[in-house]
Amino acid sequence: MLSGVFAGLLTLLPPGLFSPPAPVRQAPVAQQAPTPRAPARDIEFRWRDHPQVRNGRLFRVDFVGKFQWDARDPGDDPSDFDNFEIHRARIGIEGELFNRVQFAIERELTEREVENPNPGVNEKSAWKDVYVDANISDALQVRAGKFKIPFGLEQLTGISNLDFVYRSLSASYLAPARDVGVALHGRFFDRGLTYWAGWFVHDGDNARSSTIDGADDTLAVRVTGTPLRSIPGLAKTELGGAFTVSDLDNVSVDPNGLRGRTVMSQFVFYPPVFVKGHRRRYEIDGDWSFGPVGARAEYTQVLDSREGQGLADQDLSDARGRAWYVSGTWVLTGEEKERPVRPSRKFGAIEAAARYERLWFDSAGGEGPPLRNPRADNMLPSGEHVLSLGINWYITRWVKLQFDTIREEPQDPERSPVPPGEAFWSPVFRFQVGI
Amino acid sequence: MHPKRHLLLVTLSALMFVAASSPTHTQVADPTDAFFDGSVLHDVKLWINSRDWETLKTNFLSNAYYPADLQWNTETIRNVGIRSRGNGSRSGFKPGLRVDIDRYASTQKFLGLKSFVLRNNTQDPSEMHEWLSMLFFKRMGLPAPREAYARLFVNNQYVGLYTIVESVDKSFLTRTFGEDSGYLFDYDYPADAAPYYFEDRGRDPAIYVPLPFKPETHENDARPEVIANMVQAINASSGAVFRGAVAEFIDLGQFIRHVASEVYLAEQDGVVGEWGMNNFFMYRPEFSNLFRLIVWDKSQAFVMGQAYPVWHNITDVPEANRNRLLNRALEYPDLRALYLDTLLEAGRVASEVPPDALPGDTRGWLEREIDRAYTLIAPSVLADPLKPYTNDEFVASVEALRVFARERTSFVNADVASSR
Repeated sequence: MLSGVFAGLLTLLPPGLFSPPAPVRQAPVAQQAPTPRAPARDIEFRWRDHPQVRNGRLFRVDFVGKFQWDARDPGDDPSDFDNFEIHRARIGIEGELFNRVQFAIERELTEREVENPNPGVNEKSAWKDVYVDANISDALQVRAGKFKIPFGLEQLTGISNLDFVYRSLSASYLAPARDVGVALHGRFFDRGLTYWAGWFVHDGDNARSSTIDGADDTLAVRVTGTPLRSIPGLAKTELGGAFTVSDLDNVSVDPNGLRGRTVMSQFVFYPPVFVKGHRRRYEIDGDWSFGPVGARAEYTQVLDSREGQGLADQDLSDARGRAWYVSGTWVLTGEEKERPVRPSRKFGAIEAAARYERLWFDSAGGEGPPLRNPRADNMLPSGEHVLSLGINWYITRWVKLQFDTIREEPQDPERSPVPPGEAFWSPVFRFQVGI
Repeated sequence: MHPKRHLLLVTLSALMFVAASSPTHTQVADPTDAFFDGSVLHDVKLWINSRDWETLKTNFLSNAYYPADLQWNTETIRNVGIRSRGNGSRSGFKPGLRVDIDRYASTQKFLGLKSFVLRNNTQDPSEMHEWLSMLFFKRMGLPAPREAYARLFVNNQYVGLYTIVESVDKSFLTRTFGEDSGYLFDYDYPADAAPYYFEDRGRDPAIYVPLPFKPETHENDARPEVIANMVQAINASSGAVFRGAVAEFIDLGQFIRHVASEVYLAEQDGVVGEWGMNNFFMYRPEFSNLFRLIVWDKSQAFVMGQAYPVWHNITDVPEANRNRLLNRALEYPDLRALYLDTLLEAGRVASEVPPDALPGDTRGWLEREIDRAYTLIAPSVLADPLKPYTNDEFVASVEALRVFARERTSFVNADVASSR
């Protein structure tokens, strides 16, 4: 047992230090019981990107695990803050049946967001991806279950493949993330054009909390393409855009709008406001890489209607949340920019990364002076600018160390965790294993 | 320069100097005086989303804030926060309200105020206990918040008669003590907490702060050890040094006058109330440990009736239920005499007939204030759609107050005489 675990851990270490993880082929059942027509004959165990059990094209099961441990020190010095935490510990399986049906089941074993202070109220499930995907053709596939609503480049990037310790603020607070639903998706022109279109019960985990219900009945569409792939240097350029629309009720007595929080301490610099009607999200993004260099940019806007939400029960101007970021990475050791980077040297691959972003909330119009209250027609903007500088060390394909230092500059001095006009730096170190 | 223009400039300059030097120019009226003018019935209007108002009433035990616009006279202030407030007076029908002017903008003020209270008076059918008590305390020379009656309109609908109560905050401290840099504590007595009588609960400051002594200033550095030390001085110092030890922490004379005034008003929920201490603030300047008391919430004054004994809850209860500070202080003859003299003074203040009274009109000050208040508020109380008592109960309750005003001093004087 222990030797098996040890052997497994050895596979996580840099190639060259020890032997590379040779595919562990299970002894054919036929060798133990030489029955020529035994159906288990082709079952084999492999370890490529993940430990895998498969039987040719009949079925395949990948075992996945994601572990992240953080040491961090927020510069705004929040109280009751754990400087060390196991940020994520996920296990799951992914696979395929009959070369036509894909599936995934993933569960979070520990995560801050799962620890709800109000048990039973808007509890987030520890189950992450739980879906089946029927592959009718390249152009038409159907996915049902719980999975990410197709919106936002950064949000749709897996947690093990992020260029920074934390996702962008737009991905964390404006993009919807996972929900239960059904979606059609497919690709054309040899992946030159992909689409997603789906319906979801709510509008994702990011829009909900113990006191925020979030929206319902979400329709989502996302299209991406590589229209520049014939141009040298721009071949790996993917452009995308997405749109969602959801119903917003105000059944809850608490405000049901989106909120804005700081990156690490999650200080709320923009509390939710009262909303009712529809929530519309818009997003455009671009992702480019060339050799060891990569860049990303994304712009997101969310509009929440506020029907009857004024002090005199009148309609208010839309509540608006906006965010953008630009980021760049450079694999200093020369490997191709991929997610994840695959190291080619004994000591692994080193990557430098930088991102500048802004998230801010206000109202799309409104009369009178700008105010902070959650029923103001003209809402005083609140947001922050964030600069993230990071170094990523890909020790192996599966093990990564990340060190980021993050500078946050809140916009509204009365909704800031630091004195007016001040910015603060927050360093964070992450140890990650993702198989 | 043309001579005429020169003459004009000189004349204008002289006029400006005279204007700037005139007494009227240098006098600055307190803009809050009009808001707390108790001689008139105010109209206060709140504009709030109808759903929020219903939610506030439904969840009246919650301290959740709701945005509102406030209108008083010609003044309109937007972007204020209101919430349900009170302990025993909390109501889902006629909610007591705290109005925080600076809830959504830290620098916003209304006539210089950061907040005020709209008291619903649901525990007092006369709606006068609080009003009369604060007037009385001020006549006794003790610090007390200002109050005025107001008809409250929510979204243009009359929701009842309320009392505007000045918050005990930095504005109050500046007005009352001339500075606000010290340490203010609200004695916050949770309904489910064991009654407290200033007994020694230990030396750990955390036993006393933030409960029952809740910091209202210097919230992040309330110097709670001063209160812990005060409790030690009250309980641990020997008889020989008690007075000197305690004198560092509390103005004993002011404390005794405060208690005597409450006792005169037959207050059952004050410093020597039926359930331990309650309903006061304590304040000490920044560079002094000497606390003074500030009166708060007198909805339970008068309810014990005019025959309320002056030694009730002082000597007629078991040792464990006696206020340690008061009882030890009253062992000193001069402080005991001060207590009794203050009771007599209270009687004189309450019964004093003004020199300009009409012949045959023997009503004392307290009874006149009752009559004045009745004239001011009776129509609004009778029209109050949400008060938790009948109009007959209101009238009877006011009449009971008149009886109290006429008879209380005699009872007190007799009690004091028998105590000499």
